[in-house]
Amino acid sequence: MKTTINEHERRDFVSGVESMLHDKLSNCYQCGKCSAGCPVNFEMDYTPNQIIKMTELGMADTVLNSKTIWLCVSCITCSTRCPKGFEVTGIMDVLREIAVKKGINSKAEREVQLFHKIFLENIKSNGRISEFELVRKYNLKTKHLFKDMFLAPKMLEKGKLKIHGVKISNLNRIAKIFKDFE
Amino acid sequence: MKLGYYPGCSLKGSSFEYEVSLLEMLKVLGMGIKEIPDWNCCGASTAHSINHNLAIALPARNLAIAEKEGYDSIVAPCAACSNRLKTARHELKTDEALRKKIVNSLEMPYGAGMEVNNMLEFLINVAGKDRIKSKVKKQLKNLKVASYYGCLLVRPPKIMRFDDSEEPVTMDELVALTGAQPVDYSYKTECCGAINSLSKPDVVMALTGKVLYDIKNHGADAVVVACPLCHSNLDVRQREIERKYAEKIGLPVLFITELIGLSFGISPKALAIDGHMVAADKVLKKINEGQ
Repeated sequence: MKTTINEHERRDFVSGVESMLHDKLSNCYQCGKCSAGCPVNFEMDYTPNQIIKMTELGMADTVLNSKTIWLCVSCITCSTRCPKGFEVTGIMDVLREIAVKKGINSKAEREVQLFHKIFLENIKSNGRISEFELVRKYNLKTKHLFKDMFLAPKMLEKGKLKIHGVKISNLNRIAKIFKDFE
Repeated sequence: MKLGYYPGCSLKGSSFEYEVSLLEMLKVLGMGIKEIPDWNCCGASTAHSINHNLAIALPARNLAIAEKEGYDSIVAPCAACSNRLKTARHELKTDEALRKKIVNSLEMPYGAGMEVNNMLEFLINVAGKDRIKSKVKKQLKNLKVASYYGCLLVRPPKIMRFDDSEEPVTMDELVALTGAQPVDYSYKTECCGAINSLSKPDVVMALTGKVLYDIKNHGADAVVVACPLCHSNLDVRQREIERKYAEKIGLPVLFITELIGLSFGISPKALAIDGHMVAADKVLKKINEGQ
């Protein structure tokens, strides 16, 4: 892989990440403890410590398009075990947020990204999550119309699937929160 | 004592058993809780994944309403909700600029004072082990129970400040109070795959399967949890995991409130134990045989 990095761009990217992270990328000394304990490392294209180093080197395109940032489930094992107290879980949040702001759509992990988008839309329109609506919209958008459908009859019978969601009263406030912070 | 209650979306939906059993258990304990009026979703694992400020602002609205109601503390039974509420409280205590921005948007004051308790903290620190023990009518002898903590009850330790992040014991202590035998095993705090249940089911089944087979190999009759997302992955996906790995598991997954409720002599029906996907019949039979 040939990567040419412009020093100004590298600095901009690093300082942008660090200001969102409230941590210095150089704090990581690459011991690999985070990657050893990561429960989803087997699916990742780059390990968490590689992501940290590549971010520090300014390899924005590579990290923002990586599978890793979308596979991370925020279990916080990495940050908890980091001997330097580095915000490893935090950097995944920051990189996902930058990717979304830049309009980057993950190719390999499109469905994970889409799930997050639909989840937030659900909160925006109801103030709470309607699980039925969430699954229905997700299945429609991903064209997995029958995904998990074999679970549905039993879940309905058990009372686990509520067809009608609840909307909160003060939806205007939720709209305002989204307007101010989204 | 005025206790606020943040149910979160799952307890009103797919994990309704958790709310039903919590309320039944509290009746016996003689404790009342009041649902935060017009609460909204905390943003769960999604908001912080793609928008930091939104992930603080959404739970902040609930915290501000709770503060206005004047509760002494709040209980949030969902591990993810309690984690997000605690994280928001922590950030708003330490980041004055963000607090001002959020307070302005909410048009409500918020001082970040009131404590948020997850289910285990609530049971141990608010209800208290002595009070729980005094209400146990039915010793759940013969029953071997594995406590599954998952991620968000104990991590990150600097914000959760509760139990040990690698080898927690509080849920095992609660299990012991009911007369059941706590089972030790390796994956108490290993992740179940959580939020990616819909978008990466194969990964989630690999992680959840690892936890379930380990619990089974250590001879447990049942698993006990204090998180609706853990419950959903361990219970709802269990049949699929059995099919995928072609090996029977057959482990009923109970909420900690249900196990305590059973030891109080509350009927399984009243605790909504029949709401689970994996039937708990064998466990209930074993409890009755031990009486």
